[in-house]
Amino acid sequence: MKRIGIDVGGTFTDFIYVDEDQTEVYKTSTTPHDPSVGIMDGIHAICEKTGTKPEEIDEIFHGTTIATNMVLERKGSEVGMITTEGFRDVLQTARHKRPYNFSIMQDLPWQTHPVCKRRNRYGVTERVVPPSGAVYKPLDEEQVRKAVHKMKRDGITAIAVCFMFSFLNPAHERRVKELILEEIPDAYISLRSDIAPRFREYESFTTTCLNSYVGPKTAAYIENLINTLKASGFVNANLHLMQSGGGVATGEAAAEQPVNLLMSGPAGGVLGACYTARLTEVNDIITLDIGGTSADIAVLPNLRPGMKHLLDTQVGGFSAMVPMIDIMTIGAGGGSLAYIDEGGFFRVGPESAGAVPGPACYDRGGKVPTVTDANILLGRLGTELLGGRMTIRPELAVQAIEETLAPALNMPMLDCAQGIIDIMNSNMVRAIEKESIRRGRDARQFALFACGGAGALHACAVARMLGMKQVMIPLNPGALCAVGLCTTDLLYDFSKTSMMLSTKVDNERLQADFEELEAKAHQRLIEDGVPESDIRLKRIIECRYEGQGYELRAELDGGNVTPESVAGMLERFHMAHKDFFGRFYGETPVEFATLRVEGVGVMPQLETNRIEVGTQDASGALTGHRGVYFKDHGEKLKLFETSVYDRAKLKAGNVVSGPAIINQMDTTIVVEPECIAGVNEYGVILIDIDCTERNG
Amino acid sequence: MSEQRYIEGTDIPRVPVDPITLQVLGGEFKSVAQEMGMILYRMSYSSIIRESEDLGAGICDTMCRQICESENSPMHAGSVGGYIKGILTRLEGNIHEGDVIIHNDPHHGASHAPDVQIVIPIFYEGTHIGYSAINAHLVDIGNSGAGVSTTSRDAVSEATVLYALKLYENGKRNDQLWQMILDNTRTPSMNANDIDALIAAAEHGKKRFLEVVEKYGLPVVFSAEEEWFEYTERILREQISKAPDGVYYAEEFLDDDGIDLDTRLKVACKIIIEGDHMTVDLSDSSPQVPTAVNCPFSGSTKPAINTVIHSVFLDAEEFGNFVPQNEGLERPITFIVPEGNLFNPRYPAATSARFNATNRLADTMLQALAQAVPRNVAAGCSGNLHYIVYSGYMEDQDEFWVYGEVNEGCYGGRPGKDGMDTVDCLIANTRNMPVEESEWHYPIRVERYEMRDDVPAAPGQWRGGKGIIRNTSFLSDGYIGCEGDGHYHIPKGLFGGMDGAPARFTKNSGKHDEKAMISKPSSEFMKAGDSIQVETPCGGGYGDPLEREPELVLEDILDGFAWFEQAERDYGVVIDQTAMTVDLSATQALRAARKS
Repeated sequence: MKRIGIDVGGTFTDFIYVDEDQTEVYKTSTTPHDPSVGIMDGIHAICEKTGTKPEEIDEIFHGTTIATNMVLERKGSEVGMITTEGFRDVLQTARHKRPYNFSIMQDLPWQTHPVCKRRNRYGVTERVVPPSGAVYKPLDEEQVRKAVHKMKRDGITAIAVCFMFSFLNPAHERRVKELILEEIPDAYISLRSDIAPRFREYESFTTTCLNSYVGPKTAAYIENLINTLKASGFVNANLHLMQSGGGVATGEAAAEQPVNLLMSGPAGGVLGACYTARLTEVNDIITLDIGGTSADIAVLPNLRPGMKHLLDTQVGGFSAMVPMIDIMTIGAGGGSLAYIDEGGFFRVGPESAGAVPGPACYDRGGKVPTVTDANILLGRLGTELLGGRMTIRPELAVQAIEETLAPALNMPMLDCAQGIIDIMNSNMVRAIEKESIRRGRDARQFALFACGGAGALHACAVARMLGMKQVMIPLNPGALCAVGLCTTDLLYDFSKTSMMLSTKVDNERLQADFEELEAKAHQRLIEDGVPESDIRLKRIIECRYEGQGYELRAELDGGNVTPESVAGMLERFHMAHKDFFGRFYGETPVEFATLRVEGVGVMPQLETNRIEVGTQDASGALTGHRGVYFKDHGEKLKLFETSVYDRAKLKAGNVVSGPAIINQMDTTIVVEPECIAGVNEYGVILIDIDCTERNG
Repeated sequence: MSEQRYIEGTDIPRVPVDPITLQVLGGEFKSVAQEMGMILYRMSYSSIIRESEDLGAGICDTMCRQICESENSPMHAGSVGGYIKGILTRLEGNIHEGDVIIHNDPHHGASHAPDVQIVIPIFYEGTHIGYSAINAHLVDIGNSGAGVSTTSRDAVSEATVLYALKLYENGKRNDQLWQMILDNTRTPSMNANDIDALIAAAEHGKKRFLEVVEKYGLPVVFSAEEEWFEYTERILREQISKAPDGVYYAEEFLDDDGIDLDTRLKVACKIIIEGDHMTVDLSDSSPQVPTAVNCPFSGSTKPAINTVIHSVFLDAEEFGNFVPQNEGLERPITFIVPEGNLFNPRYPAATSARFNATNRLADTMLQALAQAVPRNVAAGCSGNLHYIVYSGYMEDQDEFWVYGEVNEGCYGGRPGKDGMDTVDCLIANTRNMPVEESEWHYPIRVERYEMRDDVPAAPGQWRGGKGIIRNTSFLSDGYIGCEGDGHYHIPKGLFGGMDGAPARFTKNSGKHDEKAMISKPSSEFMKAGDSIQVETPCGGGYGDPLEREPELVLEDILDGFAWFEQAERDYGVVIDQTAMTVDLSATQALRAARKS
């Protein structure tokens, strides 16, 4: 099977080609005005490089930030909304909480940039009520017609229909859809009961509106890409898009629910990390993806991504009620600025030098020292980056530190540089600790998986501070998202709020609700052409103790719902609560809030290619030596004579003892003193921390 | 050589801490408190904790100085240490490893009786080094009415008093005390689980702080604490000294005390700025009153003042989140609040309904500071809060249901920005309960919850924010109680901006038996089908409306923030009604004529 992964990032678009006996990566510049231009350039280039004809490609996996950028840059469609009378301003009020406690001048993003302006929000008489969804007020169709007529006059075609409790009874919403289509046949309509049929009106309404906000442009982008691919000869390739929940969807499904593409960017990286770790014996990893301005962290016990908590699934200040892989982003990257603040304290980040002016040593006008400048001065980064395409000027880094930090801190220049690294690393250490504690995990039991341009520069030091024993670095740390894309299955998520207490379980209702959700998931997968044998359906109940506010997920066995299967689910819930909060309450009634079915269409496994086998002796990859500063046994800085290797020339079985530097096109790997790196048969590097002899 | 210095109140030497370790420890302190708060609100049961995050958490040293604080609710800013001071008035010399202390006595440091704090002492190698403490609002604590006690005459009648009691002593749980506490509330199972969650969070704080001490040693940790106090003090002093010296005064008022409906209660705030120091003098405010609207000094008055100072001088929009809320913030401030004042009541004053006093105080401080730092303040804010408690008794289940609801207000206009609409104001910063949650669990129906549209936003160069309207019906018989205010008080316009609109509270609005409600009813009987409607205040405008960008006026009209007839009258903007566009030249002419 021949597949191509395409990950469009802010600066670069990464490509990976994989078949039975070949893996190839490629990079082009992203073309922001129309990302498909860069995509077509790169896809032709990688086909040429691998000698593949377009019609031979079977699958194309695509990660795109088009929907995310639309939200962040506030460039979506003008949305019209029809909602229950009396609830017109749910979007305006949100959860009535300010982002900051101590601020008069802060902005509320949902008010300064509403996803649907107040003038376009129409309340109509209707209401269904809990617990059964009974009609309390019938739908006033005349009011709907008037609202739709006004929208038509205003030229609005992206419409959201959000009624209270519509997840219990979607009849009114469906009728409104018919009425809209009578008047505006080409409208892009999102019904709350389709997009987010879950309780909590603010989050659910916002998600539905966001779907219409990004819908028309995303659908057009996808359609255009499909047509261009077909016209360029990729006639046999299926296009799949990465979703934030960690699976892919077909182009058609993604165009219907583009809200699922929001925040899909980092998901590919996490999946690529899981895939890479499966090529080793390590089962528990924490990923550390450091870029120019930020770092992404994900805790992956048993190589299973967690899902974000409802309160945390936000995009650009809006709550989006869609499954998202649990990834934490902090403002710490190679470009993070080091400075003395107004109170006289030494800070690193969260402000970043960005691409312009960039770190001082890039000679693009930056005057404030950054983490990258510190890495240059300490010798950890070489003076040629991107395989020689970029030259840097260390003297500018020296100047930046000597003019700003050194006099204020009264410290020698190199100690300032090391201080920058220490503060940066401690920010990451704290974030990793917080993430692992939040999920009830002990970081010391995990390996640190380093990726992104700067992850491998810091990983050894960060792992050491956390008491972690091992660092893992994939073959292509810069193209990891693209790798991850190629390893995913089709994934569709269907859910429904249906409250019930564990003391009064109605097995028949549960069975009926799950069968309804499973039928939807099954139908979607069949429509995508997935053979029956590759379809997997998983039942999940999101529960909480009666009276609690937030749910945890617990799996329910398939087949008939029985007292035994419910008891098994409850047991899993208690354990999940214990994992998260350190305790559980076996006697307290449990409330089932939302039922969820994950429908998976299993994709063929990705072929993995081995690298050439060598011996322990890595001297074949040695390219030279240079002086690099490290802390001597965690204390004073000392200059170490350090070997420099070329990763492309490393062979399976090679061993590299720290201190050492391993260069590759998209990253630099620092092997600190008292650390030993080994290369496995797939080219993955594993570094043992605080170790003087390699085991095995 | 300089003389060896010691950490205040200890024999731990004060040592120099390098700038890098200082940053690392600053981050650690913050994480410890944030993690405590997170554990509590994600596992707690009552909506007032988990949705409203009405809680405060932190670590204190043995001098009760707050090393760090979770940023959940500004109401608790700097209040944690005061509880411990109150506890020590009874337990000084009687604090042991394995103790878990519960406390809510507002005459001994608590914020008010519903805010119960759990304190766990921290011992390191046998020495007592500090406290892990966390407090939260319990939905009912044996109040005189379900969840509220607005008209209670004294501290004994308003709540169960828990004055420095040990739930665990030397690690052994006192089951009888526990039972006694639960027997005296209307929500025993909810309280039991919430108290359990409080203990879990406090234990976590203790464990995490000990890890930090283990790693860096006592001298470095406590020296870093001192440095962070000094840092916060220094950065605040620098900002205060940028403001012009002078005496700044403003006064506002509270509607009434809930029983004597004819007497407005004065809130007077004199602020004196001298160099890098500030005095906040509330002496001319009303004397204490014989109902529960009094405001305990250490638990509520000081946090309110701290919040305003932090927000105005170290606004997170400019300073980010990195100036810690710690002891250092109080060092440049002198408080003058005599005993017997509304803001420093003597025993046996009741205090559980003090919220509106704190928020009115905050708004009054803003108006006083407007004269000193006009670019850092908002025009008159809602400065109130309607905390409505819906309750009833379920005969079939032999249980009370009690639901406390925070109804938000809004902000006045701000320099360069309109007022924030429909949002918790100043000292309040809670999260609302989804209607789809409350209707599911309580016998109520929310008929309407949206922005007020009976009045336009207050005109100004930057318009005032808008309050909400919420209308809720009872599906079975029950009661409502409310701590509210702002029925008479009108949020002020600033620098030429116009005034906002007051609040309203109505039973059975639009029905034949419609009834205007006072802002502080204790236990109003509601029969099935009765409804209660609250309309919260709208903020004042900032700056002359004739200076407002004409295009913004048009946008306001389209979005319902301004009414068409206001365009010319209040804003001097001429709008072509058929094209719905601004007539710029006519506008310029009209405005020029108005100004001359």
